[in-house]
Amino acid sequence: MPEKSSVDLPVRWNLSVRPDGTGKLEFAGELDAESTPVAWRSLESELAGIKVASFEIDVRQLVCDSAGLALLYHLSIGGMTPGAIVNLTGLSPELQHLLRSFSKEDFQALQEHEPTCSSFVEDVGAATGSWLRDLRQQVEFIGEVTLGVMKSLFRPRLMHWKEVFRVFEVAGVNALPVVSLLTFLVGMVIAFESAQPLEQLGAQVFVANLLGLVMSRELGPVMAAIMLAGRSGSAFAAELGTMKVNEELNALQTMGLSPVQFLVVQRVVAGILLTPVLTIFAMYAGLLGGIPVLLGLGFPLRMVLHQVQSGLHFGDLAEGLSKSIVFGAIVASVSCLRGLQTGEGPRAVGESTTRSVVSSILLIILADAIIAAVTYTLRK
Amino acid sequence: MNGAPHSLIEVRDLTIGYGDRLVLEGINFDVRRGEVFAILGVSGSGKSTLLKHMIGLYQPIRGDVVISGASIVHAEGDERLRILRKFGVLYQGGALFGSLTTVENVRLPLDEFTDLPEVAKDLIALSKLRLVGLESAATKLPADLSGGMQKRAGIARAIVMDPCLLFLDEPSAGLDPITSAGLDALIRELARGLGITFVMVTHELASIYSVADRIVVLDPKTRGIAAEGVPSWLRENANQPWVRQFLKREAA
Repeated sequence: MPEKSSVDLPVRWNLSVRPDGTGKLEFAGELDAESTPVAWRSLESELAGIKVASFEIDVRQLVCDSAGLALLYHLSIGGMTPGAIVNLTGLSPELQHLLRSFSKEDFQALQEHEPTCSSFVEDVGAATGSWLRDLRQQVEFIGEVTLGVMKSLFRPRLMHWKEVFRVFEVAGVNALPVVSLLTFLVGMVIAFESAQPLEQLGAQVFVANLLGLVMSRELGPVMAAIMLAGRSGSAFAAELGTMKVNEELNALQTMGLSPVQFLVVQRVVAGILLTPVLTIFAMYAGLLGGIPVLLGLGFPLRMVLHQVQSGLHFGDLAEGLSKSIVFGAIVASVSCLRGLQTGEGPRAVGESTTRSVVSSILLIILADAIIAAVTYTLRK
Repeated sequence: MNGAPHSLIEVRDLTIGYGDRLVLEGINFDVRRGEVFAILGVSGSGKSTLLKHMIGLYQPIRGDVVISGASIVHAEGDERLRILRKFGVLYQGGALFGSLTTVENVRLPLDEFTDLPEVAKDLIALSKLRLVGLESAATKLPADLSGGMQKRAGIARAIVMDPCLLFLDEPSAGLDPITSAGLDALIRELARGLGITFVMVTHELASIYSVADRIVVLDPKTRGIAAEGVPSWLRENANQPWVRQFLKREAA
């Protein structure tokens, strides 16, 4: 009878099989979370080739914890000796009590449980459904916000100006440095990149005109809006989402206050007021970023400024600023909508934050394209 | 170690607080092996803060917490991990991970700390769930469980590594009296059946008389311990009248 044991293992066992088909397994030592995995695997391979009709497990010399009990239970239900009648002897009353908490039925139920998996058609249907519901909610929301703003205009008492100024400061004033830095660098890059092709045409001086146009009509408002979406829109969504999770929105509703009137209108008004300011800073910072490049190319400052001045018209500035107002309204309202749509559970706030940034940026670009097309046809 | 040989936790001269604000000053007590020990006090007396220091989440200003001979305040790295493995914690809300099913939550420590085969992990996790009476909810997500079930699942996760010590932070908070009584019965069963020592923070007097062997009552005014002993004895014999009133559920 070979002694099956390992030197550094605190548990030893002795496996013997008699010719009449009865087997015996004697344990001694300690089966804990560290020794059990080793014992489990070696027993599995030892018992793999053995066919027994009845099997006795003697654990009088064994101390064990849950891990060890799991092994004993697995052995006792014939997990390693299929078909054999297994008899477990020598288990202390406390461990017997614990062993009773193991159950084959629970295990089988877990194995049979398959995570519900939906088909492709179902997924498409569900996605379309939720998209349509979202669209409907958006339309309703636009109406509600417009109504709320109108109401506040006629009855200024309804408006929480303190909150508007707080949002204005947090989302606007505090964003000025980063928006300015961003557009300064973008202006610089654009000046660099356009200087080369324009040099081939001998038109390098028009870099200044180009920069002025691009910054005031396109990049100024778009960059400011994208920064607003990433920096403050996500914050709106997270703030409102957390309020929803904490049932603060329910509290507002039962007090007879509309969350839209109480929370969203302030943010939309602040958004509309602050984006033009951010945009003006963005425009100037972009131009400033181009100036060192142009000076480096050898143009005097006065000439650069003159070029910008002659190339820019009031209409360009007006287009940029009116765009920025639209963008501000989009970012603030979409982010608030996503916040209000927050579901339940710890991941919900994260999801609505992501959705707010994605939807905001998507809608900014969409609105930008539409405005560009409209102004192009109008100008013709 | 100057504590009695049968004490599992020794709290020595512990001073805790936030910033400049002291919550408790120089408190001393022992938790004996195998008992159900409860920390009591009015709201704001620092019960939960004390518990968080005892499990090593926060660093005390002064003093020490020794769990079966090893200081959790001074331990670092592997030694700290060894102490942490000796106990389980049930947080107020259960603190189950929302993205995992109940059985996956319970299995998590086994997955992270042991090398057991999958079958063994499932068997152990399911047996713990059966111990707390949740075997039928194994594949549900925590969001689909009731408050009492979440706490039970939290206990199952806390005992999956066979700790000798379990900390409970307000186990009956937010539960109805019947569910709360069921949880008390479970605590008694685990204490007697598995020999687990319990340290619980609570202000549920009903559960103190039914489960706690000994209690300490924290005093927010002196920032110390107002009384320590067997709850039913303290109810009649505590030195301070407000402790007796508190334990009799009378307004001070």
